[in-house]
Amino acid sequence: MSMRIEVDAKRWKPIPDLRELLAHRDLFLTLAYRDIRVRYAQTFLGFAWALVQPMATLLIMILVFDRAVKVDTAGLPYSLFAITGISAWAYFAYVLKESGNSIIGAQEMVRKIYFPRIIIPLSKATVGLVDLSVALLVMAALFVYHQVVPGPNALLAIPYLLGIMLASVSTGIWISALTIRFRDLQHVVPFLIQFGLFVTPVAYPAQLVSKALPQWAQVLYFLNPMAGLIEGYRWSLLGVGDPGGLCLLSYAATLFLAITSLLYFRSVERFIADLV
Amino acid sequence: MSEVMISVEGLGKEYHLGGNKGLDLRGGLKRNTKALLGRSQGSFWALKDVSFNVERGDALGIIGRNGAGKSTLLKLLSRITMPTTGRFSINGRVSSLLEVGTGFHPELSGRENIFLNGTILGMRRAEVKQKLDEIVEFSGVERFLENPVKHYSSGQKVRLAFAVAAHLEPEVLIIDEVLAVGDLEFQRKCLGKMKDVTSNGRTILFVSHNMSAINSLCKRCMLLSDGMVEAEGDTRTIINRYVHFNDDAPTGLREFSEKTPTRDGAASLRSMRWVDLSGNTISRSKVTDALGLEITYEVHKAGVRPQPVIFLHNSEGDLVFTSFAGLDAPLGQGLGTHCTILRFPPDLFNEDTYYVSIWLTTWLPHTVHQVQENVMNIQIMDDLNSSTRSPSHYVIKGALRPRFTWDIIPV
Repeated sequence: MSMRIEVDAKRWKPIPDLRELLAHRDLFLTLAYRDIRVRYAQTFLGFAWALVQPMATLLIMILVFDRAVKVDTAGLPYSLFAITGISAWAYFAYVLKESGNSIIGAQEMVRKIYFPRIIIPLSKATVGLVDLSVALLVMAALFVYHQVVPGPNALLAIPYLLGIMLASVSTGIWISALTIRFRDLQHVVPFLIQFGLFVTPVAYPAQLVSKALPQWAQVLYFLNPMAGLIEGYRWSLLGVGDPGGLCLLSYAATLFLAITSLLYFRSVERFIADLV
Repeated sequence: MSEVMISVEGLGKEYHLGGNKGLDLRGGLKRNTKALLGRSQGSFWALKDVSFNVERGDALGIIGRNGAGKSTLLKLLSRITMPTTGRFSINGRVSSLLEVGTGFHPELSGRENIFLNGTILGMRRAEVKQKLDEIVEFSGVERFLENPVKHYSSGQKVRLAFAVAAHLEPEVLIIDEVLAVGDLEFQRKCLGKMKDVTSNGRTILFVSHNMSAINSLCKRCMLLSDGMVEAEGDTRTIINRYVHFNDDAPTGLREFSEKTPTRDGAASLRSMRWVDLSGNTISRSKVTDALGLEITYEVHKAGVRPQPVIFLHNSEGDLVFTSFAGLDAPLGQGLGTHCTILRFPPDLFNEDTYYVSIWLTTWLPHTVHQVQENVMNIQIMDDLNSSTRSPSHYVIKGALRPRFTWDIIPV
């Protein structure tokens, strides 16, 4: 393998170098593998933890939103309705939480060796796929248990899921880059996740919000990329809700986040070793 | 036939002072508004206008005092951080070894860490797999390969890490002071391996405080001083120039302002400096020279009798010794300024950088007035021709290198 490295203080490309990223794919895989191994190493329940979290969330939501509040799910079993939201949201929350600390956590490496820094948040997002897969298995089990057959648009769940991953990774990249400059963000992220759960149709249908809020507030609501994506994801699987209309705002927001996150990360990448 | 492998032109790196590290939200906003107003918080050039070329198969040594810019240069060439000015190009695959065992994870097994560290250093997984047996053999930790690295001794960890590094096959290898770790035999094994590397037509850039390692590995050498190239040329010439170079920058002096916090305000440090026998301020010294640490402090409250307690650590962080005058020493009596010199004989220190921490303490009743950790350091160097050096050893291990008497007893 022959390569030539040229660095010039005056010349700098704002577009991320995909070829270089590809050349480091082995490092990416190894780091992701390390994080997965370490995450479950020496814990008593091991991989079972990936199961405990969505189940516990599901249980509490059933108690609050189904039994107590009696949310209208258009006749669908509430557990099935909720697990679609939970599986997506848990992934988003995990990626956000892990990305926030990811670069500071890897500072020893960052100060001693060169590699495309974006690998760090990307590998964290990859680790989250383990939990996501487990949550999807729980969802599948609930489909079987309630003897519900997914709607005719079920295959559209795949692009929606990809969209959810994109939104999660992009937000994660933004946060990881911002945390380098502004450590305060570490404290904001848990709050953001908690707050986000209320303003995203995870436990309740989005219509509940559309009915109650004025137009401008609805626009704000759907600027949250996860709002429209989860609504669309649920629609593709269960046929409830409306993935059009204001949801389009969420899709646009996701694209916007994705592009800006790459550009912003690229611009701070040069100084990460000086800042951490 | 000579092909330029590394070409560096006018390379410079500017660091901004005042909270570049760990900015918080407020700091960031303040900085931005200050930048808008055109007010700078000050900056310094860690590296300035450095240019040089290295040809294929060459090993270039880089020496200089602490803070001369050696590490910054390696960081730039390793692309860990970006230059402020200038440019460079490297013609081929680079591995930089600024530390052994980067990314090692204690929970993972030796085998997993070989893959982890190998890919971090730029190898492909397939490549690591192919060399796994060799790496394991070189490290000598076969028996523990499946155990988590946290159960390894520090020596085993270093061996494993170095074994991975030694099996890199880059065209250009950038190494920072990594030989300081590991035992003697292992160090020689590694230096041998590095020599093989250059004889195979690969190129090395090597930073070290260890003059004999530099001398044995590099034909050419570059001396950095205050971020600039002070001299470049034949290794022996440059090393001799460096070792006998008159110290002009008074980094061996440390002054304390009135604002330096004290515990009780009863006494405070004024200044500390390293001195040679004639009383000149120095920031480095030779193994064979005597030196002293002059401490000036002030007593603000009548009745206290403070004296300095010096803690000396070596570059590995081990406490080498603690020194103070003692209970009955007539130090620091009365109000006002006091000055004392702690004198060290020649042939006491080893070739290393030593770090000073100081406590200003009164023994009776026991009170600590002021604590300053890691306030200054001194670099102790060895002459290449020093008679205390064994010719076959690159490094003489030990926190100190005192010269004892060896009597001959006729038998």
